[in-house]
Amino acid sequence: MSVLRIHPEKCTGCLRCELACSYMQTGDYQPAKSVIRVSPFEGHTSYAPYTCTQCAEGWCMTACPVGAITISAVGAKDVLDDRCVGCKLCTIACPYGTMFYDPATRKAFKCNLCGGDPACAEACPTAAITYEDVATGDWLGDFAGERTARVLSGAR
Amino acid sequence: MAARHLIIGGGTAGMNAIRTIREEETERSTITLVSAERPYSRMVLPYYLDRSIAESHVFTATPKVLAGWGVTAHVGKRATALDTKANVCTLDDGTKVEYDDCLIATGSSAVRAPVPGADGPGVHSFWTLEQARGVIAQIRPGSHVVMVGAGFIAFTILNSILALGATLTIVEMAPRILPRMIDDTGAGLVEEWLKRHGVKVRTGVRLTKITDAKGRQKLSFTTGGDLVADVVIMATGIRTNLDWLKDSGVRVNQGIVVDEHLRSSVPNVYAAGDVAEGRDLISGANAVHAIEPTAQEHGRVVGANMAGKTVSYRGSLIINIVEVCHLDVASFGAWEDARAETASGVKADRPAYRKLLWRGERLVGAIILGPSSDIWTTNDVGMLKGLVQSGVGLGRWKAHLKANPFDIKPAFIATKTTSALLPETILGRPSKAPGETPVAV
Repeated sequence: MSVLRIHPEKCTGCLRCELACSYMQTGDYQPAKSVIRVSPFEGHTSYAPYTCTQCAEGWCMTACPVGAITISAVGAKDVLDDRCVGCKLCTIACPYGTMFYDPATRKAFKCNLCGGDPACAEACPTAAITYEDVATGDWLGDFAGERTARVLSGAR
Repeated sequence: MAARHLIIGGGTAGMNAIRTIREEETERSTITLVSAERPYSRMVLPYYLDRSIAESHVFTATPKVLAGWGVTAHVGKRATALDTKANVCTLDDGTKVEYDDCLIATGSSAVRAPVPGADGPGVHSFWTLEQARGVIAQIRPGSHVVMVGAGFIAFTILNSILALGATLTIVEMAPRILPRMIDDTGAGLVEEWLKRHGVKVRTGVRLTKITDAKGRQKLSFTTGGDLVADVVIMATGIRTNLDWLKDSGVRVNQGIVVDEHLRSSVPNVYAAGDVAEGRDLISGANAVHAIEPTAQEHGRVVGANMAGKTVSYRGSLIINIVEVCHLDVASFGAWEDARAETASGVKADRPAYRKLLWRGERLVGAIILGPSSDIWTTNDVGMLKGLVQSGVGLGRWKAHLKANPFDIKPAFIATKTTSALLPETILGRPSKAPGETPVAV
């Protein structure tokens, strides 16, 4: 299956992915409703988007007590709105922190790869997010390890 | 390979075991289910209580789904005895079921405070579907509901009671609310929040009796201050349903003692969920974790082993989350470990709270509290779970988190917690979706 591959060294922190994602997911241009989220590193000189890895276990899916999270045709773990009761078990079961909850609808939501045409990848002007048929991975760990030295040395 | 599987209990553990047997087996086996109730999800009863879902939404497997899975179901019957020498289970109507291996997943029942009047009319438990129906029939807009007990179960239905237009008073014997889920600081913040939302809270009070007051219920306490309620809900704890096993030879401590494959002292008898005393992921010791995620993981591991695979279980992590009037409250792992190194941060005006507990470089427990509308509450909930679950060495990030306990995300990412977590699966393979026929229909 294809997954979202993040190339953090290409990210400029422009947040277009968050706008595109929130619009696709909720109909609003509202980064707070995006399920891909850009984090700053090294005192806002580096950035990287972070989202669901579509992990093999699918902790959100196996935790759901009503079978409201399934695997879509493109292989994404996807929330079925009419089944989700909003119990938040998925938010605590997902160890990556990539489940979201909308207090207005009382539903959980997450990256569903936009049904195979991810808006974030399309919106990214520098190809820092690509949609590729590769094994999922920890795209940010090495980058963040490098670019957080300043934080860890105590300088802010 | 075993050909005849018996699943005793139609809750989360039992249903996950059945599904996993069907996913894993190479030859079709026979599966018999014995369940005192129609299989449903206890987790979603609060949403049925406030009518945000229909009753049909709570069922996890209809007779049609069970038939589709090829399960012979004895629903509405209880197991009363297990003969582990003859491999026969006796049901309350005299039916005898032979098995090659069996799963005991009979769960827990609600217990009430041992006071006069606790069994009277107008006093309810909220644990089973039947009990939920009883509460639903009684609560009206303007009803005064008194909740006896301020634990997790009580808090799961708090929003629903308020949504129905009732007024709510919570009474708790312990000196604080949520005594087994969060610490004093967290409990203080939640109590303050509840009062701000019109909920009355009395802690450190002991109920002595409940008496009839012209069709309403009068609750008396050792410290005085009677309360009169239209509906009393007793959320005073649960006990495991194990009495029926006493002559079976299955070793029971706090629960049925199980090994890494979830086998009891009788090798072809497994236990899962609330009745099982299995490995705790953090301490490595055996413990009863009467929570939904443990029942689910136990059930799947048992199902795979019953189907002839050899799947070891690393242990379960205590995780609890409850939302109280749009305030998320969650705790993980060894949040109560008095010997752990700790750091905490409070933003009382939000309110928001983080408490982190370490053994060495490893996070072993955490408490988190914050508004549901605050995006970082939800994300931090997951990442804290990931840090505790993976046990990654935090190295220099430990000092950073001690000084900045709200700055979870960079620590999570830069310590490569994702790399540690990605290979982790419960069954040693990618999970399957609930399927063409969802577990719940």
